[in-house]
Amino acid sequence: MPQQAIALIIIAFFIARLYWQKKKNHIGANEFLFWLIFWLLAAGLIIFLKSIDKLVSELGFSGSGIEVLLYLSVAILFYFVFRLRLKFEKIEKDLTKIVKNIALKDK
Amino acid sequence: MKVFCVIPAFNEHKNITAVVKEIKSLVDRVVVVDDGSTDQTYNLAKAGGAMALKHIINRGQGAALRTGTEYSLANGADIIIHFDADGQFSGQDIAKITAPIKQGAAQVVYGSRFLDSRGNTAMPFFKKYFIMPLAKAVNRIFFQINLTDPQSGFRAMSAEAARQISWQQDGMAHCSEIMFEVKKNKLQVAEVPIAVVYHNFGQSFFGGLKIIKDLLIAIIVN
Repeated sequence: MPQQAIALIIIAFFIARLYWQKKKNHIGANEFLFWLIFWLLAAGLIIFLKSIDKLVSELGFSGSGIEVLLYLSVAILFYFVFRLRLKFEKIEKDLTKIVKNIALKDK
Repeated sequence: MKVFCVIPAFNEHKNITAVVKEIKSLVDRVVVVDDGSTDQTYNLAKAGGAMALKHIINRGQGAALRTGTEYSLANGADIIIHFDADGQFSGQDIAKITAPIKQGAAQVVYGSRFLDSRGNTAMPFFKKYFIMPLAKAVNRIFFQINLTDPQSGFRAMSAEAARQISWQQDGMAHCSEIMFEVKKNKLQVAEVPIAVVYHNFGQSFFGGLKIIKDLLIAIIVN
C-alpha cells in the first residue's frame, strides 16, 4: 500500500538523521540505541499492519490496527511527558541546591 | 537566646533599607537572602547592616528561606524568624512572636492576621472572605491542622524545630509544607496576633492553584 511505503520512507529518513547525529557525536550510544529500536519497531509495525489488524480485532478492539497504535502512542507520549516532568523537578531541586551552596560559600 | 531574622528578598530595593533598619535593633542578626534580584537589594541590605546572602539566580521564596535558615543554624541561632521584605509586617510583632519560644511554651509560632481586628482590616475582600476560609477549611478537613492563618509568612521557630523541619518547595508552597512538617514532627505550636499592612493583593487565586499543583507534584515525585 502507498501509505505504508510513505511511512517507511519517513522512518528511513529519521533513521538516516539518527545515524548522522551519532556519527557527529551529537548523541550518545544509549540515546542512539533507544531511537534506533524505536524507529525499527515502528517500521516493523507498519510492515505487519495486516497482522496487527487481525490481532487487534481478535483482542476485541473495534478500531483498526493503525488506530489502536495511535491510541497506544498517545498513552506512551503521556508517560514520556510525565517522566520528563519528574526529571525536570529533580533538575530544579539540584539547581536550588547549587545556588544555596554558592550563597552560603560566598557570604 | 540568639534570635536571627531571615528575610527573603527579590527586587526589594525600595523597602529593604527600611525593613532592615526597623528590625536590626530587635534581633541579634538580620539575614537577608537576595533571591537573584536585578536591582540594588543585596548592596542595600549589606549597607544597612544585615548579613546579606546572594542567590545568583532567582529560586523562589521557599528556597531563599531555606538558605537563610541553614545559615542561621550554622551560625548559632536559637530562634529563627521568617519575615517579609516588602514592609507588610511590623517589627513590633517580633517580641510577640518569639515570646512563646523563649518561655518554652512552643517550638513554632505562627503570626496570625485573624487573631485581632488590627491584623486584617486592610486585607483585600476576595482574599479575606473566599481564599482564606477555603485554605483554612482544606487544612482542617484534609490535614487536621487548625490554624487561624495557614498562609502567614511571619513565623518563628526554635533551632531544634528548624532542624527537624525540612521543606523542599522552592516557591510559595513552602508555607503549606512547613505547616505539614510541623504537624508531622508533632512540634508544639502557638499563634500570636500580628498586624499586616497590605501593599498589594499578595497571593492571587492562580497563585493558590500553583501552590496546590506544586504540592501534588511533590507528593508524586517523592
